Amino acid sequence: MLEWLTRGLRKGVVTSRYPRRAEPETAGFHGRVEVVGDDQAAHAVETVCPTGAIRVSGGRVSLDRGLCILCGACVTADPQHFRYSSGFETASRHRTGIVVGGLIEQRLENSRPPLAVQARPLRRSIHIRHVDAGSDGAEEWEIAALTNPYYDMQRLGLYFTLSPRHADVLLVTGGVTASMTKPLERAYEVMPAPKAVVAAGTDACSGGFATATGEVAGGVDQILPVDVFIPGSPPSPITLLHGLLLAAGIVTEDSA
Amino acid sequence: MNLTPIAGNGAQQFLEGRFRGALEQAADGTAVLKLPLGTVDRAAAVLAAEGARFITIFAAGETTRFLVAAFAFRGEIVALQAPLLNGSTAYPALSLHLPSAELAERELHDREGLTPLGHPTLTPALRPDADDLEQRIVGGESFVIPYGPIRSGIFEAIQHVIETGGEDVLLLQTRPYFKHRGLERRFRGLEAVPGVALAERIAGIATVAHATAFSQAVEAALQIEPPESARLWRVVHAELERVANHLDVATKLAEDAALAVGAARFSILKEDVMRLRARLCGSRFGRGVVAPGGLASAPMLSPAELRESLGRFERDLARDRKLLLRTSSFTDRLIGSGRLDRETIDALGGVGPVARATGLSTDARFERPYGAYQRLGFDVVTFEGGDAMARLDVRFGEIRESLHLIRQALDSLERIADPAVLRTDVAEGESGAAFGWAEAPQGELVYWIELEAGQIRSAHISSPSLRNWPLFVGSFRGDVLTDFAFIEHSFGLTAAGADR
Amino acid sequence: MSGVFLAAVIVLLAGIPAGLARARLGAVVTSAGLILVGAVGLASAAGWSHGHIGLGSWLGFGPAALVSDGLSGIFLAIIGLIGGLVSLALIERPPARLGAALNGLLALVLVTVVTVNQGFVFLLAWEVLTLTLYLLASLERDRPGTLLAAYFGASLSKLGGGALLAAFALLYAQTHSFEFDVWAASAPHLDSGVKAAVFVLLLVGFGTKIGLVPFQGPLPLGYAATPGVLAAAVSLALNAGFYGLWRLAFGVLHADALWQGELVLTLGAIGGLVGILYAIGQGDLKRFLGFSSVEHAGIVLLGLGVAIVGRASGKPLLEAAGLLAATLHVIMHALAKALAFLGADRVRSSTGTDELAPLGGLGRRLPRTAAGFGVAVLTLAALPPFAGFVSEWFTLEALLQAFRLDNTIARLILALGAAALALTAGLGLLAFAKLYGTVFLGWLRSPLERLREARGPAVGFAVLATFTAVLGALAPWEIRWLGHGLQGLLGFDLARTTISHPLVLGPVYPGFSVLAPTWLAIALPSYALATALFVIVTQRPRTRRAPVWMSGALVRPARVQYTPAAYSNPIRVVLRPAYGYSRELVRLDGGPRAPERYTLETRIVPFFERRFYLPVVRFGLRTSELARRLQSGRLGSYLLYVLVALIVVLALIPALHN
Repeated sequence: MLEWLTRGLRKGVVTSRYPRRAEPETAGFHGRVEVVGDDQAAHAVETVCPTGAIRVSGGRVSLDRGLCILCGACVTADPQHFRYSSGFETASRHRTGIVVGGLIEQRLENSRPPLAVQARPLRRSIHIRHVDAGSDGAEEWEIAALTNPYYDMQRLGLYFTLSPRHADVLLVTGGVTASMTKPLERAYEVMPAPKAVVAAGTDACSGGFATATGEVAGGVDQILPVDVFIPGSPPSPITLLHGLLLAAGIVTEDSA
Repeated sequence: MNLTPIAGNGAQQFLEGRFRGALEQAADGTAVLKLPLGTVDRAAAVLAAEGARFITIFAAGETTRFLVAAFAFRGEIVALQAPLLNGSTAYPALSLHLPSAELAERELHDREGLTPLGHPTLTPALRPDADDLEQRIVGGESFVIPYGPIRSGIFEAIQHVIETGGEDVLLLQTRPYFKHRGLERRFRGLEAVPGVALAERIAGIATVAHATAFSQAVEAALQIEPPESARLWRVVHAELERVANHLDVATKLAEDAALAVGAARFSILKEDVMRLRARLCGSRFGRGVVAPGGLASAPMLSPAELRESLGRFERDLARDRKLLLRTSSFTDRLIGSGRLDRETIDALGGVGPVARATGLSTDARFERPYGAYQRLGFDVVTFEGGDAMARLDVRFGEIRESLHLIRQALDSLERIADPAVLRTDVAEGESGAAFGWAEAPQGELVYWIELEAGQIRSAHISSPSLRNWPLFVGSFRGDVLTDFAFIEHSFGLTAAGADR
Repeated sequence: MSGVFLAAVIVLLAGIPAGLARARLGAVVTSAGLILVGAVGLASAAGWSHGHIGLGSWLGFGPAALVSDGLSGIFLAIIGLIGGLVSLALIERPPARLGAALNGLLALVLVTVVTVNQGFVFLLAWEVLTLTLYLLASLERDRPGTLLAAYFGASLSKLGGGALLAAFALLYAQTHSFEFDVWAASAPHLDSGVKAAVFVLLLVGFGTKIGLVPFQGPLPLGYAATPGVLAAAVSLALNAGFYGLWRLAFGVLHADALWQGELVLTLGAIGGLVGILYAIGQGDLKRFLGFSSVEHAGIVLLGLGVAIVGRASGKPLLEAAGLLAATLHVIMHALAKALAFLGADRVRSSTGTDELAPLGGLGRRLPRTAAGFGVAVLTLAALPPFAGFVSEWFTLEALLQAFRLDNTIARLILALGAAALALTAGLGLLAFAKLYGTVFLGWLRSPLERLREARGPAVGFAVLATFTAVLGALAPWEIRWLGHGLQGLLGFDLARTTISHPLVLGPVYPGFSVLAPTWLAIALPSYALATALFVIVTQRPRTRRAPVWMSGALVRPARVQYTPAAYSNPIRVVLRPAYGYSRELVRLDGGPRAPERYTLETRIVPFFERRFYLPVVRFGLRTSELARRLQSGRLGSYLLYVLVALIVVLALIPALHN
């Protein structure tokens, strides 16, 4: 055991300081797709996107990050209007908040306040129960990475819990397949109030590729009331952290 | 992909001798046996008796439907093809002779309505009901624990129905298909090249393997070959993915053993690999890299930079690995847990590190070398023992071999004449059908793609996880509930890949 | 007092024909008699007056009398008061006619055993007791296993009776009298070899009644065979064995050798462990309670052993500590076990089964049974502030006085006894948690044909439950009363040094350690109540009900809860050498199309049955086979036997005369 201790001490501190200090962004990382040069877009660019995330109207473009699987087809086809950026604060408390570009719809206000507003003690201690409702497996790796020493979400008072009866946040990945609908609803029902639901990943926001097959519900918000949407395929750990802090109320949303 | 089979002579002779007149050679090198529907099961039994490994069974074709059963046989893929004439919907079940075909035939029955006559347990497989628990031990001594589909940890959704007498696992049923997204159907209508984006998202932790198998199937169907540099970079990405998967298994096992520092150190190592992949291609999982024809994007690191990062990583890994394998409170939990023997693997057609931990050298890179593996040298890592410790030893050995392969690939890349050529053009509007495969971290992954006029008409995937989940059920011999997590994580399977 | 005593005995006598006439009438009469007897016992032990009923010499072998002195008073109180309440319960659940009469006979015989002062009448009553218990056990002869249990119990009791006869014969040979007082006077002058033999014989004789290892086999079987409320009455017969040990081995014979105490300690430690280990694996409610009796008998013997060791080492305080602990435990066990058997009978009549496996969740449907049974369980499992905790505390404290001894072996044995007690207590918690949890908590496992709470006031059950619940808090008064009662055996009043402050107790040695069960009984519920009030007032919790979480699935909770066998499975696996435990999954063959089904076959090697009882039985059968050859049936052989016997006698008489 002593050797483990000395190994650990010699490595030093690798933990990120987010959110107190800005997280350095990795150059070239495909964190999100951004809409630039928002005019004179060709209508044909809509068909490039395999999930239909792009809408063009009157030359102006909107990109629904909740449908975007970060495949890069639009970036390759139309680099004038689309490019990758490594930004990670993509989560939003409204479904329309993750739609970017010049053609933006009316933002609807989320009626539920964040958890820390509903109950002050939750500001420093949030228990999260993760439920896989049909993801591809990558989101689970990124969520589990939140407990590694690089991100160490426990320093912020976030913990994973195994029983939904002890949970404050329900973190759902995957677009809710038919078999997982009842278990997901039960997990939500069994959680005590106040509670929040976080949809992590593009599949959870909209169903992703699978919506067209009819096997998934098309997003967690079709089954449960969602408090925070975190887009990404999969969302990186720091993106998830931002989304969870948003649900807790520890950070507030800035319009990205 | 190499179009002439390398070790195919034994297979050809046998098939020609046994199935005279039925043997044909497909364009991709697959041996196709055209048989009447009523004899497919007997042909399958013959092949199995000769040591063939069942891969999958599916239905293909538009105007005329065909039943296709694929086997891995002496370094080749052998496809038994039978026409489903006059709208026939029943056929003699392969499961009578091959236990490894049971799950695939149940799925086929649910999807296509084809009834396997004589199937031992023909119950619905797709879209299972979490409440439909079947208790097989009668009497009041034992009870049932439904473990899943929502499980205790950050795990994928799959249901294990454990029947226990209090402390031990008496019987276990594993029910996949809770995450069935119907993605095989989703391929239909996608163009050949953009379709790789869907293949990447079948099983996210084996993205590169799926993309490689898909691309090789398309390339074989369209008879094109990617350039050498692309093939070498594909090897680099695939082996980085294998390393990440094996480190994930080690991390999970250390967490199960409550070895907090060990789990933290291995999670740091895994995070380092993921960040390296992000620096290399922009995606932590290697998405948007492999595409039919070659690579979709240029690497963002030079071979020298990559080699330097790997050197640092390898030194850290060596020390942590040695320390982990010396910690007896950890190894004690693994030794003797979840023991599998060769006979079970053979009977159920197991693949991947699970099979290699019983001494079998089942590896798609070795049996049917593809891409740059045909010219790179590596050892297939096997261990005897078949328990969780052997599976972990196999994984550590494979990490070593993967790093060796990456270094060889980087050396070759530095010597290559035109490193910037990363793609061969893929002609549009073409048709064809072919098998493609890759060795995913979980085991042998096989794709079958049918193209018509440049669009995918149908696709079928044989996931190594689906073939290995029945092995998990049979690996509990006298193990107790507390060993469950160790055995499950030592298998290292996915649910998304199995459920598709 | 003697008048009341006589009246009580006459009422008891009347209870037998009353029981034959009408069961309820017999129960009422017996109950009245027993309560009167109990009052006599209370008074005698408290030292107010002694009861005396002379029997003259007409029963043979010298004058006899039923005397209620201090020690007899204690046991009279136990048998009388508890037996009286049990008989009250009989009124509400009358057994078959013979059962009520047998209950009356049992009561009379027990009263005789604990008060008679002469060996011959004692033996007579003892044999009648054996017969009564046999008849009680074989009442339901149609049920499988009943007759075997009855025979088994009767044979072992006969063995015990034979040992007692031998012991009394030895004493008679030394003193030419059967009277206890005469024996007590000549005990110091007895040859040590004779004394040792008598002690061992007495131990064997009374051991068969209390379930001393290796004679514990028939006890649980007998309880399971005796129907209904009568099992509770039978459980009182144990106290006759304890009385015999107290009176004869400890009192009259004046056991004061170190080896005797060590022997008793060892047997007690083993018995306690054996009892609880076998109890854990039981799937039948009454058998479980039977093995629990074996366990508690072992704990009682631990106390008695310390008393003998103390006497042998010349430490009167240690002697008193051991005897007090043992007596407290006897009283507690008698109360709690009778209550438990009454509860078991209520469960049986409400559900129709004695087995644990199909039950579950009865707490909601049978609240009164659950409450009473819960009191019994808490007491037997030795949880504070109940009486079981008090008596086990005293026993442990007595064992911990080992450091005051000089002899190393004695110290070691006492220390090991303390360790065995600790282990037994721990396993006891597990066993009773399994019992109560799988029967009254959780959900019903198998659908039952009927499930109704028994109607009626259940006076006996309720009074017994209440008294058991408060017995721990009443410990100071109980000990004061016992101090008077045991004064005859010890020579001084132990209550003086045991009770320091008005309600604080110590293990006879003043100042060694303290226990205040009365204050505990006030403080613990007060804390709980205060906390509950605080939470309710300040937090104002709102309750929302949601289904049980089963990893996302939802089935009938009864399917996924622990079964009784599964709950005790880890212990059986860990202690595999003690059980010889093995388990096998056997595939059921239902035909080619049938679904896959299995059963679980469990095997436990019954250690005592295989190593002890079976060989003895086989030996006995073989011997009787040989003896049967003598009974050839031919007249000639019998005439020859007569001739041989005549010649032998003719030869012996002159030889002996010389």
